[in-house]
Amino acid sequence: MNGVGSPLLQIEKLSMKFGGIHALSELSLQVREGEIFSIIGPNGAGKTTLFNCMSGIYLAQTGSIRFAGQEIRGLKPHRIARLGIARAFQNIELFRGMTVLDNLMSASEYRLDYGLLSAILYLGRCSRLERKCRDEVEDVIELLDLQKHRKTPVAALPYGIQKRVELGRALAMHPKMVLVDEPVSGMNLEETEDMARYILDINEELKITVVLIEHDMGVVMDLSDRVVVLNFGVKIAEGSPEEVSRDPEVVRAYLGETPN
Amino acid sequence: MERAETTLPKLLVEKARTYGQRVAMREKYKGIWNEISWNDYLERTKVFCLGLREMGLRKGDHVSILGENCPEWIFADLAVQSLGAVSVGIYPTNSPQQVKYIIEHSGSRFIVVKDQEQADKVLEVRDDLPALAKVIVISMKGMRHYDDPLIVGYSEVEDLGRKVDALHPALFLDLVNATKADDVAFIVYTSGTTGPPKGAMISHRNIIHQIRACLQPVLHFTDKDSLLSYLPLCHIFERNLSMAMPLVFGYTVNFAESIDTVQENIQEISPTFFAAVPRILEKLHSSVKIKLEDSTRFKQFAFRLWEPVGVRVGRHKMKQRGLPLHLLVVYGLAHLFVFRPILDKIGMRRCRYVMSGGAPIAPEVLSFFRSLGVVTVEMYGLTETCGAVAGPHGEIKYGSVGEPCRGIECRLGKDGEILIRGDSVFSGYYRDEAATTEVIRDGWLHTGDIGMIDDDGHLFIVDRKKDILITSGGKNISPSEIENKMKCSPYIKEAIVIGDGRKYLTALVQIDYENTGNWAQNNRIPYTTYKSLASNPLVYNLIKQEIAAVNETLANVETIKKFTILEKELDQDDEELTATQKVKRKVVAKRFRKEIDQMYA
Repeated sequence: MNGVGSPLLQIEKLSMKFGGIHALSELSLQVREGEIFSIIGPNGAGKTTLFNCMSGIYLAQTGSIRFAGQEIRGLKPHRIARLGIARAFQNIELFRGMTVLDNLMSASEYRLDYGLLSAILYLGRCSRLERKCRDEVEDVIELLDLQKHRKTPVAALPYGIQKRVELGRALAMHPKMVLVDEPVSGMNLEETEDMARYILDINEELKITVVLIEHDMGVVMDLSDRVVVLNFGVKIAEGSPEEVSRDPEVVRAYLGETPN
Repeated sequence: MERAETTLPKLLVEKARTYGQRVAMREKYKGIWNEISWNDYLERTKVFCLGLREMGLRKGDHVSILGENCPEWIFADLAVQSLGAVSVGIYPTNSPQQVKYIIEHSGSRFIVVKDQEQADKVLEVRDDLPALAKVIVISMKGMRHYDDPLIVGYSEVEDLGRKVDALHPALFLDLVNATKADDVAFIVYTSGTTGPPKGAMISHRNIIHQIRACLQPVLHFTDKDSLLSYLPLCHIFERNLSMAMPLVFGYTVNFAESIDTVQENIQEISPTFFAAVPRILEKLHSSVKIKLEDSTRFKQFAFRLWEPVGVRVGRHKMKQRGLPLHLLVVYGLAHLFVFRPILDKIGMRRCRYVMSGGAPIAPEVLSFFRSLGVVTVEMYGLTETCGAVAGPHGEIKYGSVGEPCRGIECRLGKDGEILIRGDSVFSGYYRDEAATTEVIRDGWLHTGDIGMIDDDGHLFIVDRKKDILITSGGKNISPSEIENKMKCSPYIKEAIVIGDGRKYLTALVQIDYENTGNWAQNNRIPYTTYKSLASNPLVYNLIKQEIAAVNETLANVETIKKFTILEKELDQDDEELTATQKVKRKVVAKRFRKEIDQMYA
């Protein structure tokens, strides 16, 4: 779905400094609705910092981040999450002792707004909302093929499955946009292929805009509609995967100077 | 017994009339077991059938079905049969080329596929299949962007059928009434251990006779039974259990949520009947053993204490004798303390029968299930007989597959080959007259298996005729018997005994990656892949001990003198296994010639 949507996320002149280090400087970019947008760059390029600014964990010093027309720079992370930006972390951030099902259910908790009394007696509203919630969580379980692991505590699962649950937790929040940080790091070939397919399914079936940080160039090139390349907090290229991979500056930043 | 004159679609109509809203099937979806009544079953079959007809399918046409087990598989199967057309099942594990062979050979005009994965296979080879008119997809997940005109959704066909039904409400029943007992109902492609798959044509009479006259006297089904459908439906074994037999007996079939969840689903359903191929029972057997080793010392002690009780009770049950009082009391305690919890874990609490079939199994594995208190039987049969040829009708003898079924005639040829005659012998191989006349000679089906019948009429299977080894010393040896003993070890997944024309026997061994890996971890042996585990000298020693233990139970000429652990796992994609996971001996012997020659160097 190349470039069909209107801008969902607009970042303008965003700057973030840690002491003397410019993690992001005057960065501007746009993510269009419905696309898979990848952010690549060498280590320390500012990719994860950008995610942290987008999800409200860091407060960028200057600039603006607008999501669906609303300024979100300065909002608390939980407010941003409720606006529809969910995040799957690189280092799995799940409740390790809880089952997969409970983890996913708790992610959609914020949408359950019944009162205490209703909850104690499991009255109409409560039971209706809980059922709906479970139904939607089951959709996520089916999409990500987690049926076998529903009742397994997260800590007992292999790493590759935990990554999938992490992604599922983000999806269970019913976001408009999902930020996915290195979904295939540390995975073998088969797991990587599976994960790539899941990301495509999320984008196509659930119509969720995906912003991806990834080092695996094969995955980035196969999945992305557009790619932006960062180096030392500065955008050095932007465009389709083909355009970006031919860009001489990108090649230099990534591979160093070619010997000839 | 009178001849079967009805057909499977007629039985479906009859069952829906008798049972109406009773549960015919359950399917787990979104974590909930959804029920499908006999009325729904008939309705879904009807609309799909009429939809197919509207799309141009006629009597005598062929339709392939490719995918994992689900209710739609069965609806489609019966919808095709209701039209007087022939349905052909394809293994979901088949490669695109193998899929192409069957679509082409069967001359299928339509193919029903389960999902994107299977649809992709068909689309990959579509250019070579000019006769293929439509690919009907059951689950359209991930296929939003497929704009190929060949693709049509399963529910679209149903919608079409609903419209036809509204206009011609009597049409479906007319179609069903026009089906005849001698019509070919479906074609089962044999998995082909030796050559390309052959399509065995099965008529309605063949299969209904098989079920009523051969299987039922052994297995005693009622409409209260419930079982889980998890083996490939294109195989005659599961086709019988999930499609045809419920139409005769009216029991409930449950569909697992996905292939990964079969074990959990069995626990939830607790089926009253559990049919399995040896590989599944071997795996269950070793997983219980491994789990026991990982459990507390007290539990291990308790199991060892009570196990002999189970073994003795098992022997009594095999002979169909009542238990003496003291044994009954002790067994009651053993059941309470040990066997019941184990049966609960493996989902066999309610199980009346465990049945093994499809390939020979080591009697030791069967004994294990018997010692847990479950009646365990081994049956013998072929695709070409639509299922069973023999099964225990009363007393169960160790190592025997029971007496020949009453619905057929069975005798041994001069060389001991098992010969069969009767209504359940298939109607021939599709488009292969030569192969048909080769197996059916003078009215008798030649099974290619060597058997023995004892004084009480119990049949013992020796081996496949062509697999029997003759050593250079002139001894006849049945390799599968030795291989099955080896496969009883939790660390050995596959064993191939070699020795035809050689001085002594050797074996190629494939280790069980999961269990051996588990063992290696417990013993702090590092490994990264199957290959590194398989080539570890400590693993070699482990297997050596396991084989030494097997050798103890064998006559001297039958012992394995040397063995080699294969450095790769045998794979269907590499043509080393059939779709039913049987080893293709010729391919393996050729591929590993170097390893074999080294053992005789």
